Amino acid sequence: MKTNKLLSILFFLGFIMLTASCKKDDDEINSNNKNSITLSFDNRVGDKALVLTTGAYINNVSEDFTVTTLNYFISNVSFKKEDGTVVKFPNNYFLIKQSDVNSLEAILKDVPAGNYTEVSFMVGVDSTRSVSDLSQRTGVLDPASYGDDGMYWAWNSGYIFFKFEGTSSVVPTNATGKRPFQLHVGGFGGMTSKTANNLRTITLPLTNAATVRGNIAPEVHLFVDVLKIFNGTAQLKLAETNMVHSITTATPIAENYKKMFSVDHVHNDAN
Amino acid sequence: MKNLFLATCIIVLLVMALSCSKTPDVVIEPDKLFYQPSNFQSPVYKIQSNPVTKEGFELGKSLFYDGILSRDGTISCGECHRQDFGFTHHLHDLSHGIDNQIGLRNSSSLQNLAWEKTFGWDGGVFDLDLFAISPIENPVEMDEKTSNVLEKLRKSDKYPNMFKNAFGTTEITSERFLKALSQFLLSLISANSKYDKYTRKEAGVVFSDSELAGMELFKQKCSSCHAGELFSDGSYRNNGLPPTERQQVVYRIVDGVKKAFIEPVIDDGRMRVTELQGDKNKFKVPSLRNVEATKPYMHDGRLQTLDEVLNHYTNTVTATQNIDPILNQNGKLGIPLTATEKAQIITFLRTLTDRTFLEDKRFTPQ
Repeated sequence: MKTNKLLSILFFLGFIMLTASCKKDDDEINSNNKNSITLSFDNRVGDKALVLTTGAYINNVSEDFTVTTLNYFISNVSFKKEDGTVVKFPNNYFLIKQSDVNSLEAILKDVPAGNYTEVSFMVGVDSTRSVSDLSQRTGVLDPASYGDDGMYWAWNSGYIFFKFEGTSSVVPTNATGKRPFQLHVGGFGGMTSKTANNLRTITLPLTNAATVRGNIAPEVHLFVDVLKIFNGTAQLKLAETNMVHSITTATPIAENYKKMFSVDHVHNDAN
Repeated sequence: MKNLFLATCIIVLLVMALSCSKTPDVVIEPDKLFYQPSNFQSPVYKIQSNPVTKEGFELGKSLFYDGILSRDGTISCGECHRQDFGFTHHLHDLSHGIDNQIGLRNSSSLQNLAWEKTFGWDGGVFDLDLFAISPIENPVEMDEKTSNVLEKLRKSDKYPNMFKNAFGTTEITSERFLKALSQFLLSLISANSKYDKYTRKEAGVVFSDSELAGMELFKQKCSSCHAGELFSDGSYRNNGLPPTERQQVVYRIVDGVKKAFIEPVIDDGRMRVTELQGDKNKFKVPSLRNVEATKPYMHDGRLQTLDEVLNHYTNTVTATQNIDPILNQNGKLGIPLTATEKAQIITFLRTLTDRTFLEDKRFTPQ
């Protein structure tokens, strides 16, 4: 009898605790609460960190190379909740530059509280913004702002979505005695003629959901492996493909770099 | 007597000095800077997004004629776009840029730009506001970074105030800089040629028999491409220019030393932009307004006179890849024209010369 009484008290207590903790969970996802999600772009070469200029690397076909520039645009970020609803950020454009540590984090503000299980983003600048009035092109979209980064084709109005430059001993010497490679990808599909479209959208699952709460601003840590530029889908060799400044020759590179991005982990730290 | 003579001399000198110091007044009326000529269609440019004001026009004009846009201060827009010659680079087949380098093409005329859908011989730029970045950043034209141009303008004595007058504050942004240039360019309207006055049935304007005959021939033989009041349909076509081999000198810095290299020139025209084989050898049909003043002709300036141009169409049209079907009908290349017909067409083309535009003091550098 005594034990029965004790058991029922324990059961009662356990029941209360469980319901209380369940209730607490429900309270946490209050869609009125908002916080930011940070996409952190960690540019790498295989399992090594990417170090501009001094880092020496080898691709999967044994070509040595160094990297002097890695720049790319990220836009049209969206997050999918576990219930399937999607939160979109059509007006946020980011220019990720390996040379500028502050550019490596893309912060999406005012994400409603929820558990997000998928992230999607575009590499490049969508066709709508690629043809819009100058008043719509401020910040990283200002075509006159790039200086030596040169993320805009002036003679063929359009943004350079992705720029990967460096040197390699397998590249033939050019007129100045150097062995540079320059892989530039642009092409939004054309304004006055239908031309190559090298906009690519990347969708990645978040195995650990990004749990946005009033007091939690998740950080999605992305690995960006430049080795995939050579063999993401098709095999490219620097010996053959080293000067790409045109939209049709850039398409295989865009196809390859679709495979460049992966989610390494998600931090759900309270702030 | 002596005093009277002296006094007269002094008065004469004074009058002369006064008249010398007095520059002719150029009156700028804002509502006449941009307008739609009655014989033109609606403009393509969204003028409500950048209305032309007197202050914006003056800023744009100052920028247009200022070498500050180039790396070393030597090359302005006006260098290759001279008003007297329809804003082309007179007598230069290929335009010259910084360090005396030679460009790929013959500079285009600047007129009626609000009615153009695309810009440049290959139409690579689709928005007038974006055009200036191209010559500024081209290594053989101005070889400068637009961001650096803005820095130089911010540090200059005169520009912050001019931006304030045009846009309300001294802030110098890409949008303001490019739209000010557009305001000047939009005002370059040529619609007062003898042809325009004849078309608008203005009093006292008559065409001679030869001009009338030329106009009729032009309609039959030329206007399928040089169409409408702009005298261009804005399309890209291969007009059968024979292939030529060109080489160019390119300067590069090798280990800190500038060296010259000779490279072959390949100009695929519109294909350079679209990368479509079907666009190889195609160039934009140019307007023929003020054509008499814009010699030499063609994208590479290879033809020196209008006679040579018409001789090309009768004699040297070549069936290169994508030759325009209009120039290759029933197995015959070119356009058949007699010597008399050619002369009549040229007589008509001269009626497209707009002296009011070519000599308009509002557009002339101070």
